[in-house]
Amino acid sequence: MSCIYPIGGGKGGIGKSFIAANLGALLARQGNRVVLVDLDLGGANLHTFTGISNIPVGIESFLNKSARNLEDVAVPTNIDHLSIISSVNCSMEITNLYAAQKIKIINALAKLPYDYILLDLGAGTNYNTLDFFLSSYEGIITLTPEPTSVENAFKFIKALYFRKVKQILGQNDFSFYSKQVEMNSNALEVTSQVIDSVLERDPAKGERLLQELRKFKFKFIINQFRKTVGAKLGEKIEKVCNKHFYSEFTFLGNVCYDERVHDSIYSRTIFVNKYSYTVSAIDLSHIVKNLQGNMETAALRTIGHYE
Amino acid sequence: MSDNKKMNYYEILEIPVNASFFEIRHAYKEALSVYGEDSLSTYSLFSEGERENLLRKIEEAFHTLVDEKKRSEYNHHLVENGVIDPTELSREEKQKSIPIFLAHNSIDKNMFFKKVKKKVEESSIRELTREIMETALISGQDLKRLRQAIGIELDDIFEVARISISILKAIENNEFQNLPSLIYLRNFLKSYAEILHLDPEKVADSYIINISLLQK
Ligand SMILES: Nc1ncnc2c1ncn2[C@@H]1O[C@H](COP(=O)(O)OP(=O)(O)OP(=O)(O)O)[C@@H](O)[C@H]1O
Ligand SMILES: [Mg+2]
Repeated sequence: MSCIYPIGGGKGGIGKSFIAANLGALLARQGNRVVLVDLDLGGANLHTFTGISNIPVGIESFLNKSARNLEDVAVPTNIDHLSIISSVNCSMEITNLYAAQKIKIINALAKLPYDYILLDLGAGTNYNTLDFFLSSYEGIITLTPEPTSVENAFKFIKALYFRKVKQILGQNDFSFYSKQVEMNSNALEVTSQVIDSVLERDPAKGERLLQELRKFKFKFIINQFRKTVGAKLGEKIEKVCNKHFYSEFTFLGNVCYDERVHDSIYSRTIFVNKYSYTVSAIDLSHIVKNLQGNMETAALRTIGHYE
Repeated sequence: MSDNKKMNYYEILEIPVNASFFEIRHAYKEALSVYGEDSLSTYSLFSEGERENLLRKIEEAFHTLVDEKKRSEYNHHLVENGVIDPTELSREEKQKSIPIFLAHNSIDKNMFFKKVKKKVEESSIRELTREIMETALISGQDLKRLRQAIGIELDDIFEVARISISILKAIENNEFQNLPSLIYLRNFLKSYAEILHLDPEKVADSYIINISLLQK
């Protein structure tokens, strides 16, 4: 069984690709087979973080059927056990991916023969991004300690809920229940009212809906952390999300801001390998530990269930 | 998003039902730091109305739980409605018999009162006090000016009088829309005035008349 971790977060330029590449390198260093998948369709640049500039094949070959399996278009990086599936050669129109193509990609991801599959997503809350993120129960949300990024992260979570609730209820039911609630200008706030309304009118259906939402074990990382930021920001967000959303949220840790991130991209070496003994690199390895500790406790929870 | 409509006061503050005074106060401060208007951790998460609601609930929870009488009435109500198990409350008794924190706190309190007493006897403060008491209507700014001149922090008043910081701020800034109901307000004003060595009744009357004029 492989672990799929989509990495998203709403805002652009906050370090989603940086986090994806570096977590990938750390997981590969442990001897795991890891693949990075660049799903920032139209804005692909993940390969640059890993130091490769020549990408012979990628998702385009899988979509146009010149490659049969998604795993056939994975390209090895200079790091042992770390491969990348890029979308840099996709045509300009790729941003308007057909629904069928999207489903084809999502299904293929689940079959990739790797231990860890990290999905680097683009900014924003378009349906492709949301659906890729929701293709796993364990999405990782990245944010930075600025109001704009916190705002986009919350918007992203609300958009995920909107999308998921609509998906579970189906278009008809969703419109029906949406009509029951007072529509305000903010479409995202409607989601929670829709959930309330379903719970009220059809408790069994409402309970199924909640059960589905509870399966999500979202995680988040605060990147570009600085000493001046109030301590415990991550812990507070974790608490708030657990209290006000219907899924589980785990704060994996802060990653400090470091000027040398820029240098590592310039010199085309992955940050955690070039600067292994920096605070930021250590932060990243803590996050890996938390991610794996999390898996263990998740496993314990399921075992506990059968007792 | 799930709101806290159905949560009881203990759930709102995320404390056990047998929480000590210290735990309640800590949880309250924590809640304000999360749900306050300038908190980064909930930036843009709630609409203005939602945030106001949450903050009101937190205030309500705090003021009920730090008041022994109100708290036991509230607990009784929760037990009656089957929300909590009466056995959960049992640790409460034990905690009262080891008032380490309270003992420590009363030393702090005494020191604080002594410090204030010494300060208000200084001539500049006496002058300011007279000036304020001679104005026809006392406003929040007057209280704030005197408090700062004496060197008292809002936190100090919170510690000794258990008036929440947000209410103290509302009082000092004459924000009538954020003030508690009249009966609470009177009591808060009186406690506040006492700390500043002002005539409690006069301050309360004068402040309330002033605020009602401002409101119009
Ligand atoms: N911890 C950090 N310390 C210093 N700089 C960082 C850090 N993380 C990211 N950066 C810088 O931020 C820039 C943006 O990072 P990155 O490309 O990973 O963001 P992104 O969220 O993937 O952006 P996009 O939405 O455009 O895909 C990088 O060029 C990098 O130099
Ligand atoms: Mg990126």
